Amino acid sequence: MNEYVQTLIGILLAAILSENFILVKFYGICPFMGVSKKIDTALGMGMAVTFVMGIASAATWAIYRLLVLLHLEFMQTVAFILVIASIVQVVEMFLKKAVSALYKALGIFLPLITTNCAVLGVALLNVQKGYDFLLSVVNGVCGGLGFTVAIVLFASLRERVEKSDCPECFKGMPITLVAAGLLALAFMGFSGLKLF
Amino acid sequence: MNFKKQFSEGLLSKNPVLVQLLGLCSVLAITTSLFNGIGMGLSVTVILICSNVLISALRKVIPSQIRIAAYIVIIASFVTIVDLVLQAFIPDLSESLGVFIPLIVVNCIVLGRAEAFASKNGVLASAVDGLCQGIGYTVALVIMCVIRELLGSGTFGGGILNNGEGIRIIPEGYPAMQMVMPVGGFLTLGFVIAGFQWYTRHSRNKKQKEAAK
Amino acid sequence: MKTQSTALYILRLALTLLIITGVMAALLAAVNLVTAPIIAGLQAEKTQQAIQAVLPGGGEEIAFTDKTGTVSTVYGSDTGYAVEVAPIGFDGAITMMVGIDKDGNVLGISIISHTETAGLGAVAAAKTSAGENFRGQFVGLNGSVAVSKDGGTVEAITGATITSRAVCEGINAALACVADLG
Repeated sequence: MNEYVQTLIGILLAAILSENFILVKFYGICPFMGVSKKIDTALGMGMAVTFVMGIASAATWAIYRLLVLLHLEFMQTVAFILVIASIVQVVEMFLKKAVSALYKALGIFLPLITTNCAVLGVALLNVQKGYDFLLSVVNGVCGGLGFTVAIVLFASLRERVEKSDCPECFKGMPITLVAAGLLALAFMGFSGLKLF
Repeated sequence: MNFKKQFSEGLLSKNPVLVQLLGLCSVLAITTSLFNGIGMGLSVTVILICSNVLISALRKVIPSQIRIAAYIVIIASFVTIVDLVLQAFIPDLSESLGVFIPLIVVNCIVLGRAEAFASKNGVLASAVDGLCQGIGYTVALVIMCVIRELLGSGTFGGGILNNGEGIRIIPEGYPAMQMVMPVGGFLTLGFVIAGFQWYTRHSRNKKQKEAAK
Repeated sequence: MKTQSTALYILRLALTLLIITGVMAALLAAVNLVTAPIIAGLQAEKTQQAIQAVLPGGGEEIAFTDKTGTVSTVYGSDTGYAVEVAPIGFDGAITMMVGIDKDGNVLGISIISHTETAGLGAVAAAKTSAGENFRGQFVGLNGSVAVSKDGGTVEAITGATITSRAVCEGINAALACVADLG
């Protein structure tokens, strides 16, 4: 059991810092670039992604067990993406009806999440690494938290980068990418981070 | 239908990576050797052509409310087919691209072209569009790969030439390893896009000057 | 009347989607039917190659006891053993084959699959001279191995101490397992 807890904490640390989904693994670059102009929208997107990644990890774990049972493992990509798309829809409808305050905060980000590779990525990784139910969910939620950390940090950098003076041809996307590169460099400092 | 215009759009003015900034995940993640870049580029091109053709052929049958779901099913199926074929026939490539092959499903280029082009145009035009966008994507990947591989590993053509070791240009011990790591991905893409923007502005200014004369 | 037509419309939506999904699933199943045996064959061939690489002549699968939990299969022959181990590296398991002779000396290692960082941990499995030097160090070692940082003789891969440690851990598990076999 002790070893299990160690694995759990290891996954937690790796997903948030040393194996950060955006800056180390390159999952979810599109929203990272698209929705990081302001800190509060970045935070909203991060929370929405964390929420969906947690649920999606749980659901795809169950779906994969079903596929294994039916010997249809080759259908995993198709099944996962459909499940994720449906989850996003259901979550959106549920939030709209039940928790309208949360819906107002997260609503506009939800449709964008279906095509966020972090969500499908975490589902595929959980299968690849053979995580059990709890580990999968922890990996999903922490991956989402890592996404949030990265996108919020980056948004606060970007608010300054936008106003800075740089060569004409670097204006816009290029200088943003360079800034992201420097942030990734900082996150490289976490590589090799292991508690045990 | 104008093949030449579609081609120049895919390669330059509407390049999926350098101008539309789509599918950046794979562009940043796998561009560490020429083999990866060409392999990924060709896989995406094949998937783009197949999904564009099928979606264009079915565009009058699929009701618009469920079109996104239908597109996702079609795209995911083609991605899985490519994934299985690579695993069976080019296992080296499948191993080095890993999870980024199934992740083509959520690559915005494929879904983006389905929605923006294939759902409105004929089968042949859609096939050509898939081919041109795929080539544009591949070219961008290859540029990234060549730069990162040269600076990061000091070789050219890793995975293909010279028994897979690549031709060594910078002696071992000198290359900046960071270039094949995440940092290098962001920096290289930033500089490549900056160079591209400089080029487009430069050629536009030149044209304007000539017109002024 | 209106509700009925709405119901019909929804039915049409569902049916269209169902047909598309069905056709695509059938297509996938067909492709899988062709590729599955090839993929399985490749996997088996890869394991065989790894065994041959570390234990010339190969061996038969034999029963074993393992206290470390990293050993998955042991192949034995008259000359020695090939032990398949899967220690946890920097990013997931590193599946590798360790060849050990009857006297408990390492004959060689061969990495079957891994997900280590390209350019760093991946060097351990690379076909480059750096990779071959790293793997070559283990030949002839016995008892227990460790990287120089931990007081051993093994030179770790630059920037990939964790991967190097994992490889050592796998070899130690294999050595211990063979020692138990007698």
